[in-house]
Amino acid sequence: MKRKAGALVSLLLAALPAAAQTADPARCAALKHHGDPQTAQCYQQLTRSGDPGIAAKGYWGLRDYQRANDLFRAAVKAHDKDPYLRVRWGRMYLEHWQPGDASDLFREALELKKDYAPALLGLALVAADGFEGKAAELAQQALKSDPKLVEAQELLARVALEDNNPEKAASEANKALAISPEALDAMSVLAAIDWLDDKRTTPWLDRILRINPHYGEVYATAGHFFVLNRRYDEGILAYRKALQLKPDLWSARSELGINLMRLGDETEARQQLEECWRNGYQSTSTKNSLTLLDSYKNFVTYRTPTAILRLHKKEAELLRPYVESEMQRALATYERKYKFKLNGPVELEVYPDHEDFAVRTMGMPGLGALGVTFVATQAFTEGERGAKFTASVAMDSPSARPPGQFHWDSTMWHELSHVYVLAMTNSRVPRWFTEGLAVYEETANGNPDWGDRLDPEAINAIKNHKLLPIAELDRGFIHPTYPAQVVVSYFQGGKICDFIAQRWGYGKLLAMIEDFKNLTPTVEVIQKEFNLKPEEFDKQFLAWLEDSTKVTVNGFEEWKKQLLEVSKAAKQKDWDKVIQLGTPIRDVYSDYVEAGSVYEFLSDAYLAKNDKAGAMKQLARYADVGGRDPVLLKKLSDLETEAGDKRAAARTLERLDWIYLKDEEAHRKLGQLDLDLKNYEGAVREWGAALAAGTVDPAGAHYERAVALNALHRSAEAKDEVLSALEAAPDYKPAQKLLLQLSDKE
Amino acid sequence: MRIRGRAVKGGVFLVLLAAPLMRAETFYVTIAGLGGEPEYEQRFEGWAKDLDKLLKQAEPNAKIATMFGAGATKSAIEAKFQEIAQQAKPDDSVIVMLIGHGSFDESDYKFNIPGPDLTGTELANLLEKIPAKHQLVVNMTSSSGASIVSLEKPGRVVITATKSGTEKNATYFARYWIEALRDPASDADKNQVISALEAFRYAEQKTAKFFETQNRLATEHALIEDTGKGDGVKAPGPDNGEGLVAGRFAVLHLGAVSAQINDPEKLKLLKHKEELEQAIDELKYKKASMDYNEYRRQLQAYLIELARTQEALDK
Repeated sequence: MKRKAGALVSLLLAALPAAAQTADPARCAALKHHGDPQTAQCYQQLTRSGDPGIAAKGYWGLRDYQRANDLFRAAVKAHDKDPYLRVRWGRMYLEHWQPGDASDLFREALELKKDYAPALLGLALVAADGFEGKAAELAQQALKSDPKLVEAQELLARVALEDNNPEKAASEANKALAISPEALDAMSVLAAIDWLDDKRTTPWLDRILRINPHYGEVYATAGHFFVLNRRYDEGILAYRKALQLKPDLWSARSELGINLMRLGDETEARQQLEECWRNGYQSTSTKNSLTLLDSYKNFVTYRTPTAILRLHKKEAELLRPYVESEMQRALATYERKYKFKLNGPVELEVYPDHEDFAVRTMGMPGLGALGVTFVATQAFTEGERGAKFTASVAMDSPSARPPGQFHWDSTMWHELSHVYVLAMTNSRVPRWFTEGLAVYEETANGNPDWGDRLDPEAINAIKNHKLLPIAELDRGFIHPTYPAQVVVSYFQGGKICDFIAQRWGYGKLLAMIEDFKNLTPTVEVIQKEFNLKPEEFDKQFLAWLEDSTKVTVNGFEEWKKQLLEVSKAAKQKDWDKVIQLGTPIRDVYSDYVEAGSVYEFLSDAYLAKNDKAGAMKQLARYADVGGRDPVLLKKLSDLETEAGDKRAAARTLERLDWIYLKDEEAHRKLGQLDLDLKNYEGAVREWGAALAAGTVDPAGAHYERAVALNALHRSAEAKDEVLSALEAAPDYKPAQKLLLQLSDKE
Repeated sequence: MRIRGRAVKGGVFLVLLAAPLMRAETFYVTIAGLGGEPEYEQRFEGWAKDLDKLLKQAEPNAKIATMFGAGATKSAIEAKFQEIAQQAKPDDSVIVMLIGHGSFDESDYKFNIPGPDLTGTELANLLEKIPAKHQLVVNMTSSSGASIVSLEKPGRVVITATKSGTEKNATYFARYWIEALRDPASDADKNQVISALEAFRYAEQKTAKFFETQNRLATEHALIEDTGKGDGVKAPGPDNGEGLVAGRFAVLHLGAVSAQINDPEKLKLLKHKEELEQAIDELKYKKASMDYNEYRRQLQAYLIELARTQEALDK
């Protein structure tokens, strides 16, 4: 909904009876707070008020947002110095899924009245909706301005619990209750703390229901926290209970639909979301989720006993052989490592359109996700008995991002690690640990060049002591206080697991999984497993990290300056200078493999000097430390081929398969190398991929695939392929020979 | 697309593809225009030199002229075309490849060269004077789409890097056109000849992929026109009638071509081979309306017969 000028508002207001103008918005709010059946009537009365600001609140209370919007506009026009009206209007926008418009109004109110607490609260609520780190700060500013502003205090409790700090959350909630004994949202947070702690009952529920017997929000709050803690099945049950208490709590119904979709119950998900839509709850997430459900007709599904693969039709043929085999390899590896067998198949959805994938992560913390995992180990329909294992992973397709910027296989292994850890712990695991372990696993299975490199943000965080104590690390994932904090927290989590595995062995990580499963908090887990206080653990970890990164961290500023000089020299084609300046700084920050890396400059310099072996050496280092630019990897492979090292050339192109799959030329080259190396299985796959990627030479690809299949004694398939080759090019002599050879065999 | 022998006459004197003795002359003219900036100067000149080298290696008997830099003026171009007009015969082929910047002033296309620019109409007039019937213009400049209207003519193949005069960004099509002539994979029908249609398809696909993989909006959309009356199309085929002439237009020969055949037995085999090729073409045409298994069964029978015929021919 946009801010539009109301038509005929003043005429409408002039026609209202005078008696209706005495209606009291505070009374309506009190009735609503207590779930009184008279609430709607009260708001109805407000709509008849001659004061457009009051009438607007009436229509808002009745969810007639359009009329309320028109009246708010008229009211603000009539009282353009009134910050309160702007805040109320902003709060309506916030409820109507327009946080941007809401923020504008809150800011306008602050311009009218500096430090105006309700406006600060409004901004805090907007920030909290987007999991922004400044939410708590704004709420505190609001409280400073108005210490009795209970909503701000309640928000602090909510934010603390989102940060997985139940002690602080309880303390903040109790402060809210001290301001108002009827602070329902504070009590909801306290109830959520109990439920998250697996307590079956909570005294807060009775207290809430005594104040408001229809306060479904208490369960919706629990649903929010269950989902945030990846306990989707419990979240769904909580949303169902919310709707039992308050069937028109549309936000809860929408969340129910979205989470049912996450766990694969698309039929009920659609029912719930469509009901929201029909009843005017047309939030962005509701709309996008329905659109995503509609798009599923464009996907094809492949099933094996352990995996369900859902791929978009336009790239299914290309992706399937790679994704399916890697998924099986990852599942088998994790089953062995974690000593745990999943109770059912894992579904993997791969989205070529990042916007479709983004719908899967809407309303979740952490921007720019590449993959997301949903696991349920319990039934999520009331009345169903026993456990119901559901695991679903959604991720970007290799084609969803520019080539070289996304290692899809790393992402898949990362998400599949979550599947195991969440299943093993029944989703009772702090975010820092499951993310950290997943980051660790990306490079821990014989692929050191996978995963993420030490990036400038992490270097800055180490240098400027911005890493969080382990006890508070979850906060870095949920409410980042600086732009790169989420990424830095992933890095830190991964390094902590790396540190533990190196110092105490991988078994300790498995023991920690067991501890978390039993709801042991991080602080106690650290004490139990390492006999260290968390502060001491942090100290030892930081010493280890600083030691392993000191060359880069200490040399970073100088490295930046020198890289600039190398770049200038390359531009001037002063190749000797490139080599002279580039060589000593390359290993100062060896992890830097982004565009304009030292490796690239050096290889260009060596090539310009016709030193192909030198260029190859630089590019090989680049690939070994995780360089992913397809152009550079292909260049390396060509140099290796030229140097007669076909095995190395094939290995280089194989790396590219886990990064980017739509390069038909790379598939053709690898297919040829595989044939030369007698790796016929590989050749079958690569020539198939060349065809699926829309090769410029279909006849050639069919023929080479036929050659590989023939070598594998798969004569019928070979014949089929050679016929396809000749269908495209009937006079293709090598294919004719193979056809005759295959026909003569029959 | 299969290349049929250009000199096949009534089955009396059959050749396989274009035999060296029978092959008419091909004139290649590559012109790189002004770059404007050192980066483009270098790039355009580099592409022109690449083409020159490639053509001289692949077609040592061809007449190859490559112009760039200060030498690519209007008067020099006119002189070169006049020279070809004097040498070329009706059965010869002329291939003109333009690299660089082009522009469009709402009335005519202009190729940016040192001194006065060369307009599309002027280029068409120069080509008109050349008696060679087989003409291919590959205009790889920006705004080249605007040149189709002045260059198109029945029997002449016109390829442009852009779909209109309004696509003004520097183009990449030339890079992939050169790659097409260098990469044997562009010979889709494996007859050892890269036709204009095959090279166009290769370069068009690679250019489109380039933008796709860079996650950039495509600023050029290549077109081909060979009917003499169309606007040019991206995907030539039976539905739009484009591509027929281009499919028969040999741009580059990859390997040694077969020698002339005079043996009556082999002539019989060759005739049978042509019949089989025609039958296969007809079968493929009916594919959509046929049961797939029946189609594959018939295709296999024809292809085996064709392979055996070729085997006998090669003995």
